[in-house]
Amino acid sequence: MLEFIGPALEHLFTVENFLWINLGVFIGSVFAAVPGLTVILCVILFLPFTYRMTAIPGMMFLLGIYCAGGYGGSVSAILINTPGTPHAATTMMDGHPLSQKGRTKAALKIALYASAFGGIFSALMLLFLGPQVAEIAAQLGTAEYFMVCLFGLTIIAGVSGKSMVKGVIAACIGLLISCIGADPMTSYDRFTFGIPRLYLGLDLAICLIGLFALVEILAKAEKKPGPLVLDTKKMNDDGKITKEEYKRMLRPTLISSIIGVMVGIVPGTGASEASWFSYDRAKAMSKHKEEFGHGSVEGIAAAEAANNAVTGATLIPLLTMGIPGDGTVAIMLSALMINGLNPGLSLFTTQGDIMYAIMIGLVFVNLFMLLQGSFLTKLFAKVVSIPQEILTPIIVLFCFAGAYSVNKNYFDVGVALIFAVVAWLLRKLDMPPVPILLGMVLGNMTETNFRRALLISNGSPAIFVSSVYCIVFVVLIVLAMATLIRSKMKEAKAERNK
Amino acid sequence: MKEKQSWMDRLDEKRDAIGRKLSEKEIKLPVDLVTGVFFLLLGAVILAVMPSQVPVSDTDVVNGRAFPTLLMVVMMICSGMVLAKELYQIFVKKMPPATKNINLLVEVKALEILAILLLTYVICRVMDLFVIGAIFCSLAFLVYFRCRKVSYYAITLTMAVLIWVAFRFGLNVNF
Repeated sequence: MLEFIGPALEHLFTVENFLWINLGVFIGSVFAAVPGLTVILCVILFLPFTYRMTAIPGMMFLLGIYCAGGYGGSVSAILINTPGTPHAATTMMDGHPLSQKGRTKAALKIALYASAFGGIFSALMLLFLGPQVAEIAAQLGTAEYFMVCLFGLTIIAGVSGKSMVKGVIAACIGLLISCIGADPMTSYDRFTFGIPRLYLGLDLAICLIGLFALVEILAKAEKKPGPLVLDTKKMNDDGKITKEEYKRMLRPTLISSIIGVMVGIVPGTGASEASWFSYDRAKAMSKHKEEFGHGSVEGIAAAEAANNAVTGATLIPLLTMGIPGDGTVAIMLSALMINGLNPGLSLFTTQGDIMYAIMIGLVFVNLFMLLQGSFLTKLFAKVVSIPQEILTPIIVLFCFAGAYSVNKNYFDVGVALIFAVVAWLLRKLDMPPVPILLGMVLGNMTETNFRRALLISNGSPAIFVSSVYCIVFVVLIVLAMATLIRSKMKEAKAERNK
Repeated sequence: MKEKQSWMDRLDEKRDAIGRKLSEKEIKLPVDLVTGVFFLLLGAVILAVMPSQVPVSDTDVVNGRAFPTLLMVVMMICSGMVLAKELYQIFVKKMPPATKNINLLVEVKALEILAILLLTYVICRVMDLFVIGAIFCSLAFLVYFRCRKVSYYAITLTMAVLIWVAFRFGLNVNF
């Protein structure tokens, strides 16, 4: 590890990298602060810009967006009681009440400090745990890899949306889409329907533009375009946090950071789960339970530390096994692979300098987020007030230009449009889109390992329970399924009682 | 300018009249029944076209059809579960099926947006010059949102051209 630190720092400490980090942090904060614009959408829109960059600045830019997105959502949650991102809903529980007490600046500061702490904690965990997990991952064979993918897909299907069964259906659709094009083992074409262009398969970035970005444009039909004004006049308090409050924040921030990391490592789970779980924990452990929901500093700190602690942890399965921890990092996989960086142990050995530069860079991303948040929050709030009439065509044009620029082909723009229509129809059927995305990302790896394992065992499925790792994953899958089914049954019962 | 405004006013009046009629019309979609039937049929269709779409060799131990077949079987089982649950609710428990209200006005507005997107795509493709499509797209969305502010038109059109310039000259995307 130490031999890579020197060259990594040399790669990282350039003006170009720091500019991209800051640009990413700024864009991410603004996007996340606008309700309806998501971090995943932002990463998709700006992904084409990284195609011409080398790995480090490209990843720094995207990580800047990703991490700042964790904090940015809290700005509108605190100011106008509308979460900019789904996980900021937890911050809103106490952030807005504290703002109503005339302590808007203090609420924003608590959210910022807790976010930065959670993010840095998570980045350090990635730095220390990443190489260890990569070593374990290197011992896994094809059968074990298949089980890892299956575990990831089980969790994803389970946590996405109200219905677990619909999540599984959506994951199957994503996996099926990944089968389009050349067979990974024989190179025969599959599901191309006579269209030669489909032999290369469907590019992930293009499908995502349709599934997540253009569908949001169609969703404008559901809303009346009202002006979104974040009242910066509210930010006129002194923003002072007392020593007593700092002391009270410390424990929930630390515990929530640990929870965030643990949740983030599990593929498919995300910031929302971490935030709510941490918030509940903080409430249970607090000596001031009565303050929760009425402007508790512990509540804000717990929610924000947890959702940012997820950011570095989601990169652990991504960089070590190629399994994304959540939807947004799934997109970052393209930015890595376009630069010839394939996840796995080799990434930490042959290209260790680049990998360590990215991991150390994540610490700096959080530091710059802290700096920008300290001085530019008022500016974020003003930028957020861009009218929908202007923002909507700009997003569409970014989507079209982004889809075209992947392969310099209008065919891809058409594919993105088809995916947007499909996503719109699936939305009508209450089908979650995230399992489709993760199915597409994991599809190739799942199928290749499934077939290779069966090839090795001459067609016998017993290979999937032939090693300790396999059995561990079978147990984990069964446990995860049992937990998910139990929680869904509880939810259904609670709904029936209503 | 005055003439243009009256043209926009007339268009808005027509849209309002249609909108008033449509906003009251709602369709109750039996969402789980439709999901179950649709994905069951989709799975069956994919399985039916599999032999023509996925060539295999006799020597393969596990061929290219194995994984998609497995997926479709899982999908059909899940669809069957969704369908069975709904049918049980309707026929045994005598409860109404789970429905979702589909507002016709929302769907028509979504179709309008889709039409703008499709026209932008066609213009870009036919003209082979992205900036023309970009200008059309910006204007169309501003009209869709009933925008009357000249400054918004100026800002959006400038942004459309700037996006094209950034991709064309900054990222060397030749379109």
